[in-house]
Amino acid sequence: MEKIDDLLEKYFRGETTLAEEQVLKQYFKTGQIQPAHEMYRPLFEAFEQELSVKASSPVHNNVSKKRNIKLLWIQTISFTGIAAALLLALWIIRPQETNDNYAVISGDRIEDTDFAQKYAEKKLNKVNDILINSMKPMQNIDKARQSLKQINKISETRDKIQEIQNKIQIK
Amino acid sequence: MDSSQFNNQILILSDKLFRLAKSILRNDMAAEDAVQELHLKLWEKRKTLDEVENISAFTFKSMRNLCLDLIRINKDEVELPPETEYDEINPYQQTEIKDMVTCIRNLIDNLPELQRTIIKMRDVEGFELSEIAFITNLTENAVTVNLSRARQKIREKILTEQKKVEQTIWKK
Repeated sequence: MEKIDDLLEKYFRGETTLAEEQVLKQYFKTGQIQPAHEMYRPLFEAFEQELSVKASSPVHNNVSKKRNIKLLWIQTISFTGIAAALLLALWIIRPQETNDNYAVISGDRIEDTDFAQKYAEKKLNKVNDILINSMKPMQNIDKARQSLKQINKISETRDKIQEIQNKIQIK
Repeated sequence: MDSSQFNNQILILSDKLFRLAKSILRNDMAAEDAVQELHLKLWEKRKTLDEVENISAFTFKSMRNLCLDLIRINKDEVELPPETEYDEINPYQQTEIKDMVTCIRNLIDNLPELQRTIIKMRDVEGFELSEIAFITNLTENAVTVNLSRARQKIREKILTEQKKVEQTIWKK
C-alpha cells in the first residue's frame, strides 16, 4: 500500500517512469484496490476509455488507394506528355536525309544501286563504242605518217646526191 | 519509404492520431479530415521520411502542428489559449456527467491544449517524456511541469468530489 501511495505522489508530481505508471494502471485494473485509493480509480479508467476511441471511418489504406488513383492519373498524363514532347523534339531536330547514294536519270531520283550501276555501265559502254569509232580516222593518220616516213627518206637521198654532185664539180 | 513501410509505420498510427486531433480540434469530423490531410502530406514527402529518426514522434508532432494551424485558420473555433486555466463545468454539463469517469474525461478535455495534449500523450498513448518534448517543441522539464499541473488539477477535482461524497455520508 505504501508503495502505491508513493507511486501516486510521484505520479501527480509528473515524476513517474512509464514502467511505474504501468504498475499503477495494472493496480487499478485488477479490482483489488485499497479503499483509500478507490477515488483514483475513475482517473485510470478514464484513460482506458480514451484508448478505445477510434476513428469512425476507416482511414487505413485510404491514402494509398487515393494516392494510387491520383498517381495513376499523374503518371498517365506525365508519360503521354513526355512521349509527345519526344516526338515533337525528334520532328524538330530530326537529322536531314543525307543519302548521297542516289542517281538522277532523266530527272528521276534512282536509289536502286544495282539498277543505277547497270544503267551506268550500259551508258559507259556506249561511250566506249563512240570513242572507238571516233578514233578510227586517227588510225588512218597513223598510216599516213608511216607513208610520210618514206618521203622523208627520198629527201635524205636527194641531199646525199646533191652532196656527191658538189664534190664532183669541185674536182 | 515505400507503400508497405508507409502502411506499417504511419497508417498504423491512425487511431492514435485521430485521438490527438480530436483532443485538439474537439470535433470528430474535423479530426478525421485532419488525419487524412496529414496522411496525404506525409505520403507526398515519403521519400524524405527515411531520414527521420523517430517516425512516430515526427508524425504526432506533424499532427499537432497541423491541428494548431487549422485552429489558427478557423478563428471561430472555440479553443482555450495555452495559458487559460480550467473553468468549472457549467450546470448543463454537470447534468450530463453521470459518473466520475465521465467527469474526469470532461475535465481533461477542458484543460488548456498543451496540458491536454501532454497528459493524453503520456497517460493514454504512453509516450516517453523525450518524445512528448519533441512533439510539443518543449524541454523535458517543461513537459514534466505541464504534466504535473494537469494531473494536479484532476487530483484537486477528485479530492473535491470525494469531500462532497464524505460530507453527504456524514450528514446522513
